[in-house]
Amino acid sequence: MFANLKETARRAMDTARKEGCQDVRVGSDMLIQSSFSVRNDKLDRLHQSTGSSLYLQLYVDGRYGYFSTNRTEEKELSSFIKNAVEATRLISYDPDRVLPQKELYFKGKEFDLKQFDNSYDLVTPEQKKEIAFSCAAEMFGKDKKVVSVNCEYGDSMEYYYMADTGGFEGEMKQTLFTISSECTVKDRGDARPEAWWYESSLMYDSLIKEGIGSKAMERALSRLNPRKMKSGKYNMVIENTVASRVVSPIISALNGSAIQQKNSFLEGKLGSRLFPDNLYFMDRPHIIGAEGSRFYDGEGIATKNLNIIEAGVINTYFINTYNSRKLGIPVTIEGPSVLSCSLGENFPSESSVNGVSEILGKMERGILVTGFNGGNTNSSSGDFSFGVQGFYFENGKILHPIKEMNVTGNIITLWNNVAHIGDDPRMTSRWLIPTLAFESVNFNGN
Amino acid sequence: MNHPEEMKALFGVSEEDLKRLVSIALSNGGDYADLYFEHSISNELTLRDSEINGAGTHIDYGVGIRVLSGEKTGYAYTEITTMKEMERAARTASAIASDPGRNIGPLNLSLKDFPKRYKAFVPWADKSVSDRIPFLREMDSLVFSADSRVNKVMARISDSNTNILFYNSDGVFATDERPMCSVAVTCIMKADGVTENGSASRSFRSGFEMLTGELIKELADEVVSKTSMQFGALRPSGGEMPVVMGSGSSGILLHEAIGHAFEADFNRLGTSIFSDKLGKKICSSDISVVDDGTIFANRGSISFDDEGIESQKTYMVKDGILNSYLHDRISAEYYKTSPTGNGRRESFRHMPLPRMRATYMEGGSAKESEIIASVKRGIFVDNFSNGQVQIGAGDFTFFVKSGYLIENGKLTSPVKDINIIGNGPEALADIVAVADNPVIDNGTWTCGKEQYCAVSCGMPTVLVNKLTVGGVN
Repeated sequence: MFANLKETARRAMDTARKEGCQDVRVGSDMLIQSSFSVRNDKLDRLHQSTGSSLYLQLYVDGRYGYFSTNRTEEKELSSFIKNAVEATRLISYDPDRVLPQKELYFKGKEFDLKQFDNSYDLVTPEQKKEIAFSCAAEMFGKDKKVVSVNCEYGDSMEYYYMADTGGFEGEMKQTLFTISSECTVKDRGDARPEAWWYESSLMYDSLIKEGIGSKAMERALSRLNPRKMKSGKYNMVIENTVASRVVSPIISALNGSAIQQKNSFLEGKLGSRLFPDNLYFMDRPHIIGAEGSRFYDGEGIATKNLNIIEAGVINTYFINTYNSRKLGIPVTIEGPSVLSCSLGENFPSESSVNGVSEILGKMERGILVTGFNGGNTNSSSGDFSFGVQGFYFENGKILHPIKEMNVTGNIITLWNNVAHIGDDPRMTSRWLIPTLAFESVNFNGN
Repeated sequence: MNHPEEMKALFGVSEEDLKRLVSIALSNGGDYADLYFEHSISNELTLRDSEINGAGTHIDYGVGIRVLSGEKTGYAYTEITTMKEMERAARTASAIASDPGRNIGPLNLSLKDFPKRYKAFVPWADKSVSDRIPFLREMDSLVFSADSRVNKVMARISDSNTNILFYNSDGVFATDERPMCSVAVTCIMKADGVTENGSASRSFRSGFEMLTGELIKELADEVVSKTSMQFGALRPSGGEMPVVMGSGSSGILLHEAIGHAFEADFNRLGTSIFSDKLGKKICSSDISVVDDGTIFANRGSISFDDEGIESQKTYMVKDGILNSYLHDRISAEYYKTSPTGNGRRESFRHMPLPRMRATYMEGGSAKESEIIASVKRGIFVDNFSNGQVQIGAGDFTFFVKSGYLIENGKLTSPVKDINIIGNGPEALADIVAVADNPVIDNGTWTCGKEQYCAVSCGMPTVLVNKLTVGGVN
């Protein structure tokens, strides 16, 4: 199935060189997806698709262009590439547009990251439907406050081939199986709070298939009768489902492009101790079975274990070849693969001996954030302001849900007030961020 | 290209092919089927470090096939428009229905000519990269020359042209050519060790004629002004307070606070906080809110929606009464009303959903100056970056990039980087003054409800009695 994609990509690379490109990077992907969703007790949607695209990055006389098409018939593709090369020739000369140094390339497979389930095609439409119906049945009719439930089973198989004229060649395959659920319940007045839950796995047999609907219903019912709290400083615990929200501004600020454009609050901070001396942000790209694991990045550069923040010190930026040459600093990697954080150098596992319950017990009283509602971070200053949903707690016990509240601060200050980091990351996403707890955070309410 | 024969040739289909595909799609007893063929070419050109450092072109092509059976939807798409592949997709989508013995009768095909809501007078395909470059260079030059604190400028021109061929089981056959262009600029300024950034953009469904020196000057002035304002701006004390929403981009309030909650799919399913409010008074009778797909060349306009319904101007709120939800075919059938032309999709890869177009509030009778003067302590906001809503709970937010404190009826210190949160029905009911200065904002607004969709918004200056402002305590 994938041989044609490789052949098309290689043909495109040859054509681009014949048209005058000194260097070319080519990518070719295929994505097969299916989903079945159930609303209340009825099948609501089915969706199946297969798509593929060809991506070209052209280096022509010191100029750079990026192109994509899903029209890969030979004559049409040749014409597309010819036009692409001509268009690229018209832009500015930039000597920093080059392929990576060859010694940085990933050289070959070391072991199996277990990203692909060979039984993908064996899951029948009937099984998929049955999973979605079973999930919905965990909620529908189970509580008189339930207004609407929706459950979806989805799966996908993705193949990606990449090669360049510098000698890099690699291919990746990944399967993903997901069950998601949403539940809406009737509150006092007109409000209808909703909640979701999901499970996912790269392997069908490992997918948790039960309890997803009931978890969504439990979370929705817990949101009834919310109260707005008084503005003030509270301890903040962020559930592992959404904790990445306060990690991503730091990762974005470490991006080489933001650094080079002087639009980052971490510009000029490489090697500086900005955070508590026991704080670590770590990238572990070769964890077997993790969704974000990979051997190489989008330039073909080999990934490796990396401490991004080490003992509170900014240890690395994310520098690709272009930004490396612009900034005059070495290439690292374009971005993290399997990211996590901890107080201490231990990469959090699924063991969960220090999860949200334990952390709530340590924080006396405050607000447990289980969802963010809008908001943003100023990339130049690190100042943030987010809408939040969650619960007020005291002495480890949740007392009531909150509503219409913002949390406002500065991301560096926030992380300097980190009190606890759990060991309970959900394994259902590429970033494995556990429950986080911070002291004395500005909340805005009444 | 908008001639039906050219479109059929582009996608390699005949009228008989279209009928055959719909017949297959309905072969399991579906109530309705449609075919959505799409061919889009998009280009982008970027400026960074005062050089044109990147160019790109992207082609996307395929057909989405949808079958409705009651409220159920079957959907499949293919990027290969051979009959073999399209028939396979049609059979996949047909599986949502379960009455294969049903007789669908002969299919008609009739060309429907919809009023045109946009036109590329100078098609993008007729212009090269070289024609676009001077506008980016001019932007760079204007921004740098406007303020000595400017450190970096990034600018981008993105244009696209999308050809659509649509056919459905009602016999509607239509074609459309949808142009789009966006110009965006970001400026980084540095002074006394402080870095600030600002952005400005414009977007229209139009051709190369959109690119003018006046537009570039307008954007350059705006981005410099917005970024300059950030210096010295502070965060206010947080909490509940009156908020004056300036004209134009404050329309984000409508999009987030009520627009999504009026999309009829949420109401049909009972998951919107406005589910039981149709025909009821929900705010001051001075307020009328419109979702309009007919404004010529507007970013949110469509000649017909993505399920073959003519675009229209829909009063969501008329004189304070919830007048209409925003419908696609499924919700219109459920409510036994006519579709409102809001069935939109990101591309052939997606099934249509009720989506907004240009959402705005009509002007009132108050004066902006009077509204500001009436506030003892609050904030004035008119520069936003993003927003979000929880449809059922009704809590919405929008992020304010910059604004001003209002103290004793006057704009005083600039403020920045604050999130504002409120509850949709309460905020709408809390609008106590509407000014006579309605403005449609022409920035690159994009809505992210399951799929990305180009929209726009607008507003006159209004006073909301009470919202919760993020800030320091």
